[in-house]
Amino acid sequence: MSTDSLTAGKSTRRKTSRAAKPGPQSPDGTLRRRKGLSERNRPLWMLIPGGLLMIVIIVVPLLLGIFMSGLDLDQYSLRQWVSAPFIGVQNFVEALTASPLLHAIWLSVSYSLLAMVVTIPLGIAGAVATQNAFKGRALIRSIFLIPYVLPSFVVATVWRTMFQPGSVIDSMLHSVGIDAGLWLNGPQSYWTLILVQIWASWPFVYLLALSGLQSVDHEVHEASALDGALWWNKLRYVVFPYLKGPLSLAFLIGMLHHINNFTLPFVLFGVPAPSDVELLPILTYVTSFQSFRFGLSAAMAFISLILIAIPLFIYLRAVKLDDAETPGGKK
Amino acid sequence: MSTATTAAGRRPSEDFRPGSKRQHEVTRLMPGPMLAIILTVLCALVLIPVAYIFLASVNSDIGVARGEFFPSSFSFENYSTIWSSVGLATGLANSVLVAGSTAVVSALMSIATAYVLVRYQFRGRLTILRALLGLQSVPGTLMVLPVFVLFSSSATYLGIQVIGTQWGLFLTYLTFAMPFSTWVMVTYLRGLPRELEEAARIDGASNMGVLLRIILPLSWPGVVVSGIFAFLLGWNDVLFASVMTRPESQTAAVALQVFGASQEGGAIPFYGQMMAASLVCAAPVVILYLIFQRYLVGGLTAGGVK
Amino acid sequence: MKFASSAKFAAVVLTAALALTACGGGSSSSGGSPGPVDGKGKKLSVLTGVNNQYSAQQKQWFTDIAAKFKAQTGADISFETFASANDELTRIQTSVVSGQGPDVYSLGTTFTPTAYATKAFVTLSDDDWKKVGGKDRFNPAALGISGPDAQHQAGIPFVSRPFVMAYNKDLLKAAGIDKPATSWDELAAQAKKMTDPATGTFGLATGYKDNFDPWKFIWAMSVQAGNPLVDGKTLKLDDPTVKKAYETYFGWLTKDKIVDPASIGWSNSNAVAAFASGKAGYLMMTTSSSLPTLDKSAVAGKYAYTAMPTTAPGQTSPQGDGANAASILSGDNVVVADYSKQKDLAFAYINLITSKDEQLNFQKIFGDLPANAEALKALDNPALKPVADTAAKSKATPFTGAWGDIQLALLNVVVQSIPDLSKGSVDDSALQARLKDAQSKGQASLDRASK
Repeated sequence: MSTDSLTAGKSTRRKTSRAAKPGPQSPDGTLRRRKGLSERNRPLWMLIPGGLLMIVIIVVPLLLGIFMSGLDLDQYSLRQWVSAPFIGVQNFVEALTASPLLHAIWLSVSYSLLAMVVTIPLGIAGAVATQNAFKGRALIRSIFLIPYVLPSFVVATVWRTMFQPGSVIDSMLHSVGIDAGLWLNGPQSYWTLILVQIWASWPFVYLLALSGLQSVDHEVHEASALDGALWWNKLRYVVFPYLKGPLSLAFLIGMLHHINNFTLPFVLFGVPAPSDVELLPILTYVTSFQSFRFGLSAAMAFISLILIAIPLFIYLRAVKLDDAETPGGKK
Repeated sequence: MSTATTAAGRRPSEDFRPGSKRQHEVTRLMPGPMLAIILTVLCALVLIPVAYIFLASVNSDIGVARGEFFPSSFSFENYSTIWSSVGLATGLANSVLVAGSTAVVSALMSIATAYVLVRYQFRGRLTILRALLGLQSVPGTLMVLPVFVLFSSSATYLGIQVIGTQWGLFLTYLTFAMPFSTWVMVTYLRGLPRELEEAARIDGASNMGVLLRIILPLSWPGVVVSGIFAFLLGWNDVLFASVMTRPESQTAAVALQVFGASQEGGAIPFYGQMMAASLVCAAPVVILYLIFQRYLVGGLTAGGVK
Repeated sequence: MKFASSAKFAAVVLTAALALTACGGGSSSSGGSPGPVDGKGKKLSVLTGVNNQYSAQQKQWFTDIAAKFKAQTGADISFETFASANDELTRIQTSVVSGQGPDVYSLGTTFTPTAYATKAFVTLSDDDWKKVGGKDRFNPAALGISGPDAQHQAGIPFVSRPFVMAYNKDLLKAAGIDKPATSWDELAAQAKKMTDPATGTFGLATGYKDNFDPWKFIWAMSVQAGNPLVDGKTLKLDDPTVKKAYETYFGWLTKDKIVDPASIGWSNSNAVAAFASGKAGYLMMTTSSSLPTLDKSAVAGKYAYTAMPTTAPGQTSPQGDGANAASILSGDNVVVADYSKQKDLAFAYINLITSKDEQLNFQKIFGDLPANAEALKALDNPALKPVADTAAKSKATPFTGAWGDIQLALLNVVVQSIPDLSKGSVDDSALQARLKDAQSKGQASLDRASK
């Protein structure tokens, strides 16, 4: 790429986005603008490799899983699983009425949300603080990444060791006169989980926020710098709007990662988990790999999938993340 | 950390020339002291547990199990023993191979997919975008068994052995990385101006040409971010890797877990070696990031994630 | 030779080998893994638990056995290891569903019923038993958890690993105790004498947050009080003996105060660490695998193993079969997968590893007791005598596919009681409620098993 093309791009950019905004749009996203480019010579084949992979390795097994959720599949019928008795919705009924599934979903969603609420400001702070060049910035940027780079298994083992009664954290708190009680059992374990999750996943938000910051136009910086804008105002009104897209995505994906995070609670609390942290992945794992009731477990996972997908799509609509031509609603 | 603050405070901010190396000055977002506080707090947040891992790695296992922070005895022996006891070399080689190729291929595939999804209008476009996120929410614990059944039946019916090979693992991670990588690229590509592509097209560039020569160079930050995610997905997974690998294709994360697991009625796990091994495992990723992070520098591209 | 049939397999191995070389170097650790395919072109795949304590020795053992096996049969062996019981259950499940996986599995005894319930493993016929050296080759006690009855056995005993306790001779002597306790009441009384919170010394070391230990205590105390827990199709967790067992177990912490208060967060390994530093009189529920740690520790030479008490709390003598319930029948069984296409080879392998010489060799390297009767008799190490005696006094846990769930339910009572424990007392009605919950969950699982 050449500098020329870059500057060219920059100067035309405003125009483009301004032109984009009033573009006629219908809700299903069919956009009439630039029909010439869009309709002619569409390289739709580029979707095929990824699509094929996802169909074979995600969709097909998912359907298989859904099929299994209708079977009375347990250790006694596992070997001939295809001919396991079909029991319709019984697994779903059992999951909803006779298992702690709903409680687990509630725990999973609420903990994910709480962890997310803290990681987002942390991630933004980290990204903003390392945006400006300074000596050692590369090092600090890499340091920030460490929690995310350590395998969950290690993170959980380390924190479990530190949260042990009478261990490092307790003795530190004790020296300042706090008796914190149990971290890995009882009601507090819920907060322990949130704490560790925040530690492990804020770099994820940080990374996305950092990539978002790179898109802030130079003119914007110049303008606000020349205006002598207060740094806070500059951040609030000039820079943050640029982060809306990546952060909406970070929020969504972060939530899903938290909800589906199995290793962290599993290593942190073991099985059977204290009822305060009997999360969704733990429940499905125990049901399928310890109690060997795969049918029931598949039904649980399927119910949770649906319960999580609904808010997900409401959210998608709300932040217009899926709507290509109005990113962030800025400018 | 201390150098950070002084450096940030001292730099003047007159040089606004776009594309210049000193352009960062203009982008200064915060007063020095504020920056110092944030950097110190965040570094402490990260480094204290990391310091604990390091100290544990030179401590005795009994010391770790008894909850010491500062070791009562020092020994760096763990850093040499792990290579034979954990089988770290094979593990790391496999992890680099699998996670690395996942990162590269998923970045390339997702940029192509995202490009089509962002630039072209067609029926089902929105459905695909949403379905991608839907797929992202499928729990791994639900997928392990069916994916295994699928792969093992490929050996039974097609005669292709997938289980136990690195490429079976690679395909799995690639697929699970695709939805997210694609989304990162979608949000990123939306910010890129169309004019460049159109100019290139007028010059007769093909779709592929536009993608490789215009889009790819402009979207490095997005590529790096989605590549890192894909890499870490493969690097850290144990759920799939533990059932789908064999000793010779085992990844580092699995080797570590096998090593760190304490046994029933058994003795103390080798905490020291495990901590040493996990630091060693983290190192390649941090180094990789050190190399690639310069592509995350702002201002070079006109567009960006919005 | 059967070249045609092996060609496909050779291709697979070749691919694997290529993949291995592709990832470059560092193959130092793949323990006894693939050599070149031999003339017979057969390779037996064996899944066994990883032994981190003796990791180098285990790799060596793999290599040695593979060499001997090759000399005997001309076939190769590929060993794979799993990390934990959870890991293994996952492996078993995926293999069973897909009908593809290792030929031979090494199983913890308590998982044998679960594996048996899948019907995916060979129930040995008389003929099969002959192929592994005859049933009478094995220590009869070790066969106790091989199958639901003597005619239906799938698990071939490989090693015994009975649970015992270790005691600190110095601490016992200092407290004027001349011999370790044989009843749980006596144990608590002795522990009381050794406990001195001022110096951080406690009578017992045990981990309340261990993933396995707690249920073993409850099982032992209940069985010794005459309650086998599973009686035909009924589960008896709502029995007073079970409640008494929990109360005793919790009481160490809340009433007797003979364990470190921190042990509510401990797993077994933390307890080993406490004992190793000389801060505990007794280390509960351990096996001979704690030996290397202890021999390197502050208590080296000052400790000994002995059987755990067999007289239930509040009793004066063992009830029912209690005298034979010093430990669960613990160790490893090997099973042969039903889908295996080389069962005879699998049996030949088992025949090799359960032979007297190999069993003695194994014991020498890893410390686990032989399941081979002759080998067991031939043991002459006095330090192992208490452990060997306990092996004879071990009782099998109930052989039902529901045992996994029952075990989990027993453990869950402890897990959910830990917050109460940390506050100093477990409320009677809360315990009652948890027991009721465990009973109903376990019974439901048992109903499915007997359906």
